[in-house]
Amino acid sequence: MLALTLQIVLNGLTTGLVYVLMALGFTLIFGIMRVVNFAHGELYMVGAFAVTVLSGKLSWPYVPAAVCSVILVGVLGSLLERFLFRRVIGNEFNCMILALAVSICLQSLGLIIFGPDEIGAPRPVTGVFHFGSGVIPADRVFVGVMAILLLVAFYFFLNKTHFGLMMRAVAQDPEVAALHGIRPKRVHTAAFAIGSLLAGAAGALMAPIYTVFPYMGELPMMKAFIVVVLGGLGSLSGAVVGGLLLGIVESGFATMLGSTAAALVAFAVVVATITIRPEGLMGRRS
Amino acid sequence: MLRKALLVLFAALAFGWPLVIENRYVTHIGVLIDISATVSLSLNMMLRIGQLSAAQAAFMGLGAYTSTLLVMRLGLPFLIAFPAAGLLVAAIAAVMGPIFLRVKGVYFVLLTFALGEGIGLVFQEWVSLFGGNNGIHGIPKASLFGMTMLTPRSYYYFALALAGVTYLVAVGVFRSARGAVLDSLNENEELSQSLGVNALSYRVCVFAISGFFAGLAGSVYAHYTGFLSPEAFAFSTMVDMLAINVIGGISSPLGPLLGAILLVPLPELLRDVKQYQMLTYGLLLMAAVLFLPSGIAGGLRSLRQWQRSP
Repeated sequence: MLALTLQIVLNGLTTGLVYVLMALGFTLIFGIMRVVNFAHGELYMVGAFAVTVLSGKLSWPYVPAAVCSVILVGVLGSLLERFLFRRVIGNEFNCMILALAVSICLQSLGLIIFGPDEIGAPRPVTGVFHFGSGVIPADRVFVGVMAILLLVAFYFFLNKTHFGLMMRAVAQDPEVAALHGIRPKRVHTAAFAIGSLLAGAAGALMAPIYTVFPYMGELPMMKAFIVVVLGGLGSLSGAVVGGLLLGIVESGFATMLGSTAAALVAFAVVVATITIRPEGLMGRRS
Repeated sequence: MLRKALLVLFAALAFGWPLVIENRYVTHIGVLIDISATVSLSLNMMLRIGQLSAAQAAFMGLGAYTSTLLVMRLGLPFLIAFPAAGLLVAAIAAVMGPIFLRVKGVYFVLLTFALGEGIGLVFQEWVSLFGGNNGIHGIPKASLFGMTMLTPRSYYYFALALAGVTYLVAVGVFRSARGAVLDSLNENEELSQSLGVNALSYRVCVFAISGFFAGLAGSVYAHYTGFLSPEAFAFSTMVDMLAINVIGGISSPLGPLLGAILLVPLPELLRDVKQYQMLTYGLLLMAAVLFLPSGIAGGLRSLRQWQRSP
């Protein structure tokens, strides 16, 4: 029983950490720009394809391939903000439609370039770790460790650097921030780039574990959305708590009742959260 | 006056062309336009009160499955199953409405998105009732007063009538005194509440009407195609209906009509290359948001105002 519980928690933590990566970017973009980024799953997909091409077709080692993919998605995000979202910022409805349009375009470009088939990326880590009667695949542990490193880096960036301070200022009050000499537009570009980068990192980390195909972003996008609603839209700490919570609860439900029940419960929780406490578990009432 | 003349011409064209062009395939696209126009109009009603409902495709699916199951499992005639499909969805919207419509903007979108995904998941996983991902085959054709509708043309006229009624209701709801209240809710809710308007009950009412027509459209779709699968009512369908509204223009019911006529035939032209069809939709949607935010209908209106002013 103890081993089973431990197994459930460990499985949940590793998936939960990837949810956190997705949700953090999603909630960062919403918190700073008020954009519900429906294209977030597609940025994950681009990251996964990039790492598959670099480490598979061009046979680069995994780490440089992943770093390049992540940077590529970050650049893509900054371009999206600079040339598309900047023009409709301030209008939540138009931002949402634009994000949907971007999502459709990226998905169809994925289909045009790579076709609908599921492909695999080379695995950088293989083997399993044993603990008592429990087993955990080494590649999962690798993903978990990398995700934690990224989260710590992101935390330091946001809380200990000058640019992070500027970002938090714009999220709180763009006008007052502008009065203090911060250029909200520049912060917007950076926030979109960093949000995208996190999604790209999640994609690059998961590519060797799951298969890679143009629609692969839909599920992580859904999870990010559930996590973000649970934790509170725009709340970073909420995304971390919500992501880990969803990972563990889902892993428990999936083991006990099957994954459909887990998904339905997640949707019910979303509906309950928005109707009872729209600001989420950790969000502030505005 | 011009507007009325145009609408009459529009209606005459919509009614007359299948009599001149006797092509099954073209008529088939006509039926799809009618059904999409109905669902897009139902979405338009929600957009007019400032709430983007992402559950509209799922509502259409609920109507489709309800009608199908009533006919196939309970042996009820189409004449009963058809209104029942609309009423069931309306009832669900009326029950959910008071809870859902308390929240606004992004939160309402996310809420209805979750509802739509949940409904889709039930269609997929409750295999014994909804047939799962294999769907339901061999749905009997609709019959009215002892006459079975077999040809695409009969469905075309039936669906056209449905789209027409939906259009009239959408216009009527917003043109009446109640419509003024509804528009005021979109403009300034606090002010209208201060005048004693119960905002929530108006919104719930529109949500139920919108669900009703989405459900009816689903019923026609089910009996016309004879085959249902959860995929037809997934989020991508919802995005199509939204694109029809945005590109056509969301500020009047004319927008979704224009949008449906323009956008529904498009995938058929690019039928063999699904990925290019998606790309076209995406690019058109992007272009509409960036360059024509009030859609074609809005563009026409400003063109007319520009002509009038010397």
